[in-house]
Amino acid sequence: MADATMGSAPRPGLFLRNATGLVKAWSTFDAFVYSFWSVNLITLGLYGMSFVYSVPDGQLLIAILLFGVLTTFLVITYAMLVAVMPRTGGDYAWQSRVLGGGLGFVLSITGWWFTLFLWAPIYANILVVQFFSPLAYTLGWTSVATFFTSQTGIFVSCLIVLAFVAVVVTVGMEAYAKIQKICFWIGLIGLAVVCVLLLFNSQSDFQNAFNREATSLFGASGNSYQATIDAATKGGFPGSDFGHVSFGPILLLLPWLAFYLLWPNWGATLYGEVRGAKDIRKPFWSMFWGLWVTIGMVALVLILMVKTFGWNFYQAANAAYWNTIYVPGSPAPPVGIWPYPVMFAGWLVDNHLFQALLIVVMGLWFFGWAGTLFLSSTRVIFAAAFDRVLPAWAANISAKRRVPYGSLVLMIVPSIVVSAVYAYKPNFTSVFLDATAVLALTFFATVVAAIILPWRRKDLYDASPIARYKVAGIPAITVVGVITGAFLLFMLYEWSFNSADLYGTTFSSTPNSVYYFLATYIVAIVIYVVARVVRGRQGIDLRRIHHEIPVE
Amino acid sequence: MPKVFFATDLHGSEMCWRKFLNAAKFYDADVLICGGDMTGKAIVPVVEENGGFTAVLAGEQQAVTADGVADVEAVIRRKGYYPLRMSVERLHELDQDAGKRAETFQQVMLDGVERWMSMAAEKLRGSGIRLFVCPGNDDEMEVDDVIRKAEMVELGEGRVVEIDGYSMISTGWSNHTPWNTHREETEEKLAERIEAMASLVGDPSRAIFNLHCPPYKSGLDEAPAIDADLKLLHGGRALRAVGSTAVRDAINKYQPLLSLHGHIHESKGAVKLGKTLSINPGSSYEEGVLMGAIVQLDAKKGIKSYQLVSG
Repeated sequence: MADATMGSAPRPGLFLRNATGLVKAWSTFDAFVYSFWSVNLITLGLYGMSFVYSVPDGQLLIAILLFGVLTTFLVITYAMLVAVMPRTGGDYAWQSRVLGGGLGFVLSITGWWFTLFLWAPIYANILVVQFFSPLAYTLGWTSVATFFTSQTGIFVSCLIVLAFVAVVVTVGMEAYAKIQKICFWIGLIGLAVVCVLLLFNSQSDFQNAFNREATSLFGASGNSYQATIDAATKGGFPGSDFGHVSFGPILLLLPWLAFYLLWPNWGATLYGEVRGAKDIRKPFWSMFWGLWVTIGMVALVLILMVKTFGWNFYQAANAAYWNTIYVPGSPAPPVGIWPYPVMFAGWLVDNHLFQALLIVVMGLWFFGWAGTLFLSSTRVIFAAAFDRVLPAWAANISAKRRVPYGSLVLMIVPSIVVSAVYAYKPNFTSVFLDATAVLALTFFATVVAAIILPWRRKDLYDASPIARYKVAGIPAITVVGVITGAFLLFMLYEWSFNSADLYGTTFSSTPNSVYYFLATYIVAIVIYVVARVVRGRQGIDLRRIHHEIPVE
Repeated sequence: MPKVFFATDLHGSEMCWRKFLNAAKFYDADVLICGGDMTGKAIVPVVEENGGFTAVLAGEQQAVTADGVADVEAVIRRKGYYPLRMSVERLHELDQDAGKRAETFQQVMLDGVERWMSMAAEKLRGSGIRLFVCPGNDDEMEVDDVIRKAEMVELGEGRVVEIDGYSMISTGWSNHTPWNTHREETEEKLAERIEAMASLVGDPSRAIFNLHCPPYKSGLDEAPAIDADLKLLHGGRALRAVGSTAVRDAINKYQPLLSLHGHIHESKGAVKLGKTLSINPGSSYEEGVLMGAIVQLDAKKGIKSYQLVSG
């Protein structure tokens, strides 16, 4: 029975009848929350920005705005792909269907499976520096704080992260989405408190608070604020002026910002599960606002930090901290833990209980976000298993609780091994720095697929709602894809070949990384080739998975 | 031993139906099975006015000349919608009168199925390929009569059919959905319906259960969670198992060699439920992509191989 009408015209453009699956579109806000978490201002953002001291002449605010503009093209590209092929698998599905099954498998599995192992220790490190360590010091539990900075402490943190992620995958997204929303609102309240503290306190208030807590919590004496700057200077940090603007250094900041701002499309692998994704506007606006609301908040927090902490101090604190880890012989700053701006803001209130509470509340930015670490990976593994490239058990789920134990094992077990390497073999650290670059490479392959889509899969493109978008006669997806591709290529070049090795990831200085990632690509190729041979013997031709059946 | 190609939930996409008919040759299959929900969900009015036609595509009104209207109708059909030429007066009449809309819907759906049956006859005549169709919960009951009369197509609903030594039972009925569609019933009644057929199967190890609704909590039945207003929850990320316990129980009890399902387009997959290989190939009918499953049956192994494809 026809019971609804719709269409942009004043008269009905479509008559619908009652039929399964005809749902109303999801709320953009719900999807925005997911995208917002993916470019997590506090958890990833503050951690990533603690490295920008390495480009002291770089004007961070302008760099962030520039990054936002360029990443918007990535958002448009992905929203268009979702509109053309709204399927589970995201990068894997798009690359396979446009570039070919083998290439799609190798590129996306390397990015969404093998590289995600590396993110477990990265998440664990963030959990230590933003939660365990500052909380323990604030509560006076020095031995606990020291434990979490030890090798075993870092490994234990990795296990905690992996256990948390496994629980989230087990309970499912519906339950976790509710937790995320609670974390979202309480986390925002916490951020508002931080901003208010920074707004209504002066730089001298902060200097006094810093010196007080450096003595109270870390046993330092004298002017710790100045001593922090001095420690950085002795370690080679030349000082940084927030008002200095120079174009070249701004560009050099972009690869650092990718660590947290490149992921508004993180949920793209999930959009395929909903019919509403067919509408280009929904995925676009959810990713767009996720990105730009974060950028707006970053700008606000940054300006308040400059006002209250002092930019040179904040940069120096980061430089002094990281120098003690990466530059042998560098003097230790009086506050020997990661310069967590939330902790610093809390110090503006002379009450350790309040400070601890603020750290706990702001910790929800971690717990509302980290649970999705393997969610996209499990979807990609499922897609590859359904394509018979991976064994069927990779997509198995338990009958009772619907736990995807096959894909979880494929993620968790290697992650434990990688975490142990990270914790106990410090000379492999560079491999983890490359984690961003390899995901960017995966995105780049998807962008290439988007660029050539109108010609490689003309049928799909012509039938899609984006076919009507053109720029000077060229398909819009191609135009935005080229811009996005250039942006990603620039960063990939800088990560790989920067002459000063700013990011600690150049090929020449990090042979371990090169070997590791080459090995992952080789393993992916081997898996695909073996699958082709084995399936061939079973009478299954993997090449025909995506071959289009003639219509006539 | 037969090689089966199974696809489902084409929802009026003529491009998918054409591909489905060609799939036998393309994949070298002996048997084609269409799992249900053949009919489309929407009519797109192609309104005749001012010497030309207008139609709303992807939310935008487009005007075409009489020469170009066939192309527009082809695009509409490709998406699984029914293009229907009408005057402005007829458009308003359908907008106002729910009864007339229902009548019109039924007519265009039956016309569409009839056209598809003719295409099947033309394509498969003399080929030796068997084609089974079992309407799904979204298909009106009258669709069965059209299929029953078709020359090269065998109706699956409610029957046990023999396929080269294998027995196949079929039903397009499902458990209740929020949309109150044409073939829905309680789990108890659905269980009785399946039992009536399954009990006639001699050897479950050589049986195919072609049941439109997937088994509950099988991973083949995960649909985006919706609220009472049919609005997707949590950005469409939250999934819920919506399959049938009756279907699950029947599979657990009889352990057929193979079970084929559809209904939940987003839940593509293949899982083992005990000895049974259960498959939902999913559906991307709107893009004109035919998602299907190729299953090679084998006298000794039962199932020699299977593959999910997007053709």
